[in-house]
Order: sequence, then C-alpha cells, then structure tokens
Amino acid sequence: MEKHHNSVTRTPLNSVVVQRRSKSKSYRLSYRSCLGAASRLGLTPALTARRLNTSRRAPKPHNITEKVDAEQLTLLVKTEWQLSYVTPLYQFRHTQLKSYSRQLSAFIAAEKQQGMAVEVEGPQKTFRVSFSLVQGLTESDDDAETVLVQIYSKPLFARQDEPQKPVWSGWLTCINGNPEYLGSLPKDFICLPLFGSSGAEGLTTLVKSWFQQSFDCCFGPLEISHTSLQWLMALWTNCHNEYSIQHLKMIWTLPAVPPLQVTYTVNSEDAWELWGSVRKGNRGGGGGGGGGEEAEEESSIDIEEVRRFMQGLQSHFYRHFRLDLSAGSLNQVSTALGSAKYSGRIKISNSRYMITTLTLLTECALLKMPI
Amino acid sequence: MDESTKRLLQRLMRRIPTQMLRTTLDKWGRLTGEQLQSMDFTQSKWALTEKLLAICEENELAVKHITELEMIYIIDNPNQGMWYAFQLMDPEDDAHSVELTQFKEQFKSHLRELIRHVSVKIKKHTDEAVWIRIAWGDTFSRPNHMKPTYVVHSLQTPYVFVTSLTSKQKPLLSQALVLSARYQAIKDANLSGRKLTAIRDLLMRQYHQVFPTRYPTPLAENNQTVSNQHIEREQAVPAANRLQAAYEAFGGGMLPQLQSAVYKLETKFRDHSNKTMTEREEPFRCVVKFASTNLLESLRHCASSGIASTPVTPLLSSIPLKGKNYFVITDNGPGPSSQMRQPQN
Repeated sequence: MEKHHNSVTRTPLNSVVVQRRSKSKSYRLSYRSCLGAASRLGLTPALTARRLNTSRRAPKPHNITEKVDAEQLTLLVKTEWQLSYVTPLYQFRHTQLKSYSRQLSAFIAAEKQQGMAVEVEGPQKTFRVSFSLVQGLTESDDDAETVLVQIYSKPLFARQDEPQKPVWSGWLTCINGNPEYLGSLPKDFICLPLFGSSGAEGLTTLVKSWFQQSFDCCFGPLEISHTSLQWLMALWTNCHNEYSIQHLKMIWTLPAVPPLQVTYTVNSEDAWELWGSVRKGNRGGGGGGGGGEEAEEESSIDIEEVRRFMQGLQSHFYRHFRLDLSAGSLNQVSTALGSAKYSGRIKISNSRYMITTLTLLTECALLKMPI
Repeated sequence: MDESTKRLLQRLMRRIPTQMLRTTLDKWGRLTGEQLQSMDFTQSKWALTEKLLAICEENELAVKHITELEMIYIIDNPNQGMWYAFQLMDPEDDAHSVELTQFKEQFKSHLRELIRHVSVKIKKHTDEAVWIRIAWGDTFSRPNHMKPTYVVHSLQTPYVFVTSLTSKQKPLLSQALVLSARYQAIKDANLSGRKLTAIRDLLMRQYHQVFPTRYPTPLAENNQTVSNQHIEREQAVPAANRLQAAYEAFGGGMLPQLQSAVYKLETKFRDHSNKTMTEREEPFRCVVKFASTNLLESLRHCASSGIASTPVTPLLSSIPLKGKNYFVITDNGPGPSSQMRQPQN
C-alpha cells in the first residue's frame, strides 16, 4: 500500500541492477529501477529515463516548531545554502557524532598544515567542529535523522565563554526519501542524499573530502532544474491563503547580446488567483477551497497544473512585450517563503513549509545521484 | 583647514582614481607648477593625500576650493551614481531667452530664500550644459558637503538631470529651478540610469527627432557562422525583415547605455484558454524589470534574432521613442505617467 499520494511515472526506465564494489558485497537496486514495475521485466532502457514525481502532495504548514528545536531551526532558515547530492554513507552512525567532530577538526588542522587553500586570518586560528543531530527534521519513518555540521573558528587564546558564530555550516538530510530505494540499501548504508553548505569554499571542500574518505561516498553539484523551480513556484504560491507569500518573483535570462535579465514580479493575490484558476476542477480563485471536505481532494498537485500556471504567467508577459520567456532560462524564483536558484542555491525563509521544499530537493538529489 | 575640510579632501582623493589625478589637479589650477611637480604620482594614494593636504594648507585653501575640485572631477566623470531626469513644463514667454548669468543669479537667490544654509556652485560646461552643485544645510546646521546634489541643465531644453537628491530636498530644488528657468512646473521624466551621458543622449535624441523611418541597409554582422545553405535561403527574407523592424524601433549604430527599464503593469489578464482569469474584473498586477549592461542593444538584438516578435511592441519601442524607462501600463486611458495600451488577444 502506498504511504504517500505520489504517483510515479510509468515510462520504461533503466533497469540496471548495480553491483556496488563495497565492503558488504551486496546487491543494491539502482534508484531508477525502483521507480517502475517495468524495470523488473528487463526492458531495454529508455532514453528519457529519470523523471521527478509528476504529482505531489500540496504543502501543509507543518508545526515543525513542535518537532524540532527552535534554535536549530533558526540556524537553518534565512541562510542561503549551496546544494549538493551525496551518495549513501557507509557506516555512518548517528551515535558517533562527537567522535566525528574531533576527527573533522583534526583533519582540517592537518590539511591546513599541508597548505591547503583555507582562508585563515592569521597563524593562530584553529577550528572547532560540532556535529549535531537535528531531531525531528524528518518526515517518513525511513528517513535518517538530519545532521548539522558547524565549524567555528577558534582563536588560540579565546575565553571559554565567548560566544562564537560559526564560520561554516552544513547539513545532510533526507526528507520523504523514496521508500523502495531506502529499503533496498544494504544494512550498513545511511542515505542522506541532500547536502547544503554555507561558508568559505575551502572549508566546504575539506568537509566533503573528509566525508568521502571516511564514509566512501561521493558528492556532486545539484542544480535546481527548470521543472523543480516551477514546482517550487507552484507549491509556494499554493500556501498563500495560509501564509502570505508577499510576491512571486521570477528572474529570467534571455540570450541577447548583451544578455538581458528580466525580473517578473507578480502581486501575491493575483498569483494566487491565477494558481487557483489552473487547478483541476477549476475551483475558482482566491479563497475558494477552504472547506474541510474539499481540503482532502485538493491535497495533490499535478505537474499539468504547474505547467498551466507557468504558461499563464508567460502568456500574460508575451501579450505585453511580445517576448518569449521560454527562449531564455529561468534562473531564480522567490517568494516570502524562500528563494531558489538554478545554480543550486536555496534559501528557506520560513520554517512552516520547509518540509515540502526539502522533500522536493531530496527527490532531486536522489535522482541526480549516479547510482 | 579645519577638520571637516580635511575629511572632504580625503574622501575626494579616495574617489578619484590615481590615473586621473594629475589632469584633474591641473584643471583645478590651485596648485603652482612647482607644487604639482613635487607630487610623485607613483606613490600610494594615501601618501599622495597627505602631500596634497600639506600643499592645501600651504596655499590656505578652504572648503569652496575643495568643492571646486570635486565638481571638476564629477563633470569629467559623470557616469557614476544614479541620475534622474526631470522635465520643465509650460514655459513662460521668456523661458527661451533665459541666459546664463540671469539663470545663475536667479537660481541662487531663489534657493537661498527657500533654505537659509545652502551652498551653491554653478559652472557652465563647454557643451551648453549648466552644472549646479548644492550642499544642503538647514536652519541650524551648516551645509553638508559630504552629500551634495548635482544638477545638470541645458538652458535651451526643458530637461534637468539630478543625482543624490533626497525627497525633502526635492521640492526646494524644483521650486528654485522652475522660477529661475522661467517655467511653471516640473515633472518626473520617468527616466533614470547610471550613465548621465546615456540618458542625456536618449532624451536629446528624442528632442531632436533624428529617428530614421527607414534604415537603409542592416549592419553586416562580421562573425556570422556559415550554416546550411537551404536554411539561409529560407531565412533570408524573415531575417532581413526582423532586422529592419529592430532598427526601426531602436535606431541604428551605437545606442545610449541604459541599464534598466521598469514596467508596472496593471492590465487585465486575458487568455482565451483560462476562462476564470479572463472574466476577472481586477487587473493582474505585476512589475517587470529589464536589465542589461546595454539595455537598448539587448532589446534590439532580441528583435533582430526573433526572441521578440516583430513588429516590436510599443511598450519596448517607447523607451527610445519617448526617452523614458519607467512606465505604468493600464487598460484605460492615459494617466499622468502612463501610456495608453489596447491589449490584443
């Protein structure tokens, strides 16, 4: 029985069963092969294999402050994170976080001695690392707990009680990860596919190296594709009647010479009405579907609705400027709930709808992983 | 030299790039030949500043001399900060015969009537433009030379360009300008940009109406990739038409370097595939901002390459045609700073 309302594409997918050259010598299904029954029949791989879910549950405000420590939440929101995907970690234990903190500290110190490119403001700086568990930041039972890593710079003669701001932060998370895939992982692997970092590039590289060395995993850049950006636009706009998004802003780049940047900002009420008008069954605009019974039916959003939303916005633009926005590329989407850039930078401005955003991003990370 | 004068000079020195320093100081003419020689321009900026401070002390220069230097630098390098264009409206009978000395006197006296502590410097630049530097004080304090307003006005035109003006200062400046230039009102021309030369060119071109109605030959592109012959043949006519339309809308050759254009749209949403939204009474409010290192070139290229459909919509071609880069677009009738638009399906 499906735990989630997500419907999954049924096009034939790569039916690759991968043998991982790992210590456990067990077979593990590739992520893609989990996505369709057709794969088990051993059909020839299709060219357009990987797809995001075509429908997903509409975001509800999660009382996340009840589940997660408020202080930790403040660390996560209102910062812009650079995203990467991570392959599953071998023998990562949530109980060993203190030991990992020490190990990473030592690693950074050692690399510094070797002369790695870490920006230090003087010879006496050492780094203090802290791994912590962000308890409660999960959704399904299969999700591993989110881990937060912070690096503080420690001047050599600092007092103990001096409050320090971290110079680098990062986190690994898995929200609503595909249960089939997670279930197919061998026992010793933990899947935390989404990695976000904020701080000096040198430190990010060091942290990634350490993880790669210690847990036999792989990092890679995660872009937020055009489709994902459209999803975020729609998902965020959908929240407007519960929490004002204040505006819907899109930034496009058109390939003119010199390049032309178009910032298209839509009034939040009007965006909300347009969104309501493209929903299936066309439940009117504005404060339409507020009733309890209707809420259940509305709980799933389809990709077609998202496309129609974008289409409406583009055609309104075209009517005025006779400029085809799809000739360019969508670089950034932002509302009061957060902002997302094609380059893989995400900022979550409000924790209420965080889970939905992270679910989408977790899915992107899982899809982008090479195995 | 008192402390504030010293600070002013230090700040000015930080602003002027070293390579321009010698010429600017030369134009200033407040240093003797010897003193100028004694400055070693290969030294660090900080060292040069100290030297200059010493020389100014020697020559007993005051604030008014330093502001002179600032003005010389700004006049030669006007393309910094944000400039806003204004237009004087409803000229009096003698507006066109206002000449420089009259304007100068009138402006200074009107401004001084409106605000007690103000320091005004007026300089005529070579190309008919009058430059005004205003340092504002108030009833209790002396003029603040750290945040001066600069105004540029060409006497024979109704246009005025202003930078660094606060909303409190705006009515005072407007009043003084209107009275001394002999007009009845002044309004926002809805044109702004970082490069004074660009926005001035844009407005002045409009003023002189030098738009060709038919561009003779499209500019040959030098680095055209040689592609399929069939495609070329097929595309020859449409490409030429697009190019034609692009040049007609935006003009040929070098275009003034505007950085952005903003459109505030308050039109109804009309899309035959979306019945709900089309039936809606209220307008679909949005703001569109176009930005580029050279906006007009980007738009022209969009038109010639097909990203923008030709004929170019009047919304875009209004930028060069009307010399504006801020528009409010509504469905009905022209407002004070809006443009009539008939939406097409």
